[in-house]
Amino acid sequence: MTATAGPRPARRPGLARRVLDANLPYQLLAFAVFAGVWEVYAREWGGLLIPSFTETVEATAELLGSAELWRAMWVSNQALVLGFGIAVLAGVPAGILLGRFRLAERLADVYLNILLVTPMAAIIPLLVMSVGFGLASRVILVTIFSIVMIVVNSRTGVRQVDPALIEMARSFGASERQVWTRVLLPGALPAIMTGIRLGLGRAVTGMVIVELLMVSTALGGLILEYRGLFKAPLLYGTIVIILAEALLLISAARWCERKLTRWAGSA
Amino acid sequence: MIQIRGLSKSFVGQDGSVVHALRDVDLDIDENEFLTILGPSGCGKTTLLKAVAGLIPWNDGDILIDGSAVRGPGPERSMVFQNFALLPWATVLDNVGFGLRMRGIGRAERDERARALIEMVGLSGFETKRPGELSGGMQQRVGIARALAVEPRVLLMDEPFGAVDEQTRRLLQEELLSIWERRRMTVVFITHSMEEAVLLGDRVVLMSARPGQIAEIVPVPLPRPRSSDVGAIERSSDYVEVTAYLWDRLRDMHTEHRPSKVAG
Repeated sequence: MTATAGPRPARRPGLARRVLDANLPYQLLAFAVFAGVWEVYAREWGGLLIPSFTETVEATAELLGSAELWRAMWVSNQALVLGFGIAVLAGVPAGILLGRFRLAERLADVYLNILLVTPMAAIIPLLVMSVGFGLASRVILVTIFSIVMIVVNSRTGVRQVDPALIEMARSFGASERQVWTRVLLPGALPAIMTGIRLGLGRAVTGMVIVELLMVSTALGGLILEYRGLFKAPLLYGTIVIILAEALLLISAARWCERKLTRWAGSA
Repeated sequence: MIQIRGLSKSFVGQDGSVVHALRDVDLDIDENEFLTILGPSGCGKTTLLKAVAGLIPWNDGDILIDGSAVRGPGPERSMVFQNFALLPWATVLDNVGFGLRMRGIGRAERDERARALIEMVGLSGFETKRPGELSGGMQQRVGIARALAVEPRVLLMDEPFGAVDEQTRRLLQEELLSIWERRRMTVVFITHSMEEAVLLGDRVVLMSARPGQIAEIVPVPLPRPRSSDVGAIERSSDYVEVTAYLWDRLRDMHTEHRPSKVAG
């Protein structure tokens, strides 16, 4: 490097600079290191129980070609889609009401706190007792897992809308409905979208946990089966696929969030 | 045009004592008058303005506009806010058209009228920007355009230039004068700046705090139009005299209050 002070014309950074400034190279590097350490560790000390990175990749590819996996995905995701859908449809309005009306807040606060702190796995025996095994109880569990995030964030979203904006709207003669549709809901949207994204992550967790602990029919069933048979690469492959699905869903949610609420970053 | 009769508003403070935000305020505002209201913080000037806007209830007294009592916001009044109160997710065009939209005016007419106002406040080319991309001065131009778009007969301005830097404030004062000279309406303008109150107003209403009431109404003997040469206005002896008088009065109020504060 030469002198850093003094006048210098502004220039577009060179290729090397732009590559170094982007995130992707670092992510690739971190992944390569991770895969390398895994590979070496598994080959040297892994034995039967820890498959190597390459074995896992092969098993993942094999799984992706098998009907068994896709059947399991289909069954598991029914619970995810229905449970998460219900959580959004019920959680967003509930959060908005809690944020806007003190009475609703007072009535519901205790239950919301219980939902926030209770380890969800503890609810499973109760669910099985009252609803039995089957789709209904899996859906309910996914809903319970994800709805808290959605309610809490929606509530925050409505609450953090600047009261000055509501006053402004009223000064221009806005009706109660117009205050809701033109001020409160758009203002709360960023937080609502954050809640939906976080809730989606919890929904995926719920989907897997419910199967591991309750009804081992689908993805959870595969995991238990491969574990029982000491098919370590396939076990790891299944988990990789679940992780990939979760990552994909959350990226999609994040993308929607950015699309819908671009103003929130700059304001 | 606007008559305020015996207006009082009090509320119970955090320590349980009754605070008189406004006590027995009487005020007549003429059609097309530019009235500035000046006073220390806590004198209830914003409360008074919000009452006229129909945004808050009061305990006693009446506010009449053209003889009919104010019961809430109305189409003949619009307001400019101290902290702009722009919708951060909406473009400049949509923010300016907001009041029109609340009145059920369709997209085409709304945009056309908003564009005309945007041009008037010098923001042409910024129609698709969002408030976060604008400076404070530009944001308040949007706030002014939004208030003017509904073609109010009364413009209520709550320390509109309090949150912008000094240079911008001076520019906005000149532009407000120039807009008002071309398009007359009744303006009620709250400020805590003596210079601003004198430069803009036909009369300055001086308010005192605790309880909030009108201490004095000072006429401003400066010629109109004023926007063409603000510098000459500020050097004129009338301007200097009125400003000095207001400062004397404000300082008196301050010293009157100090002993009671120590005792309390």
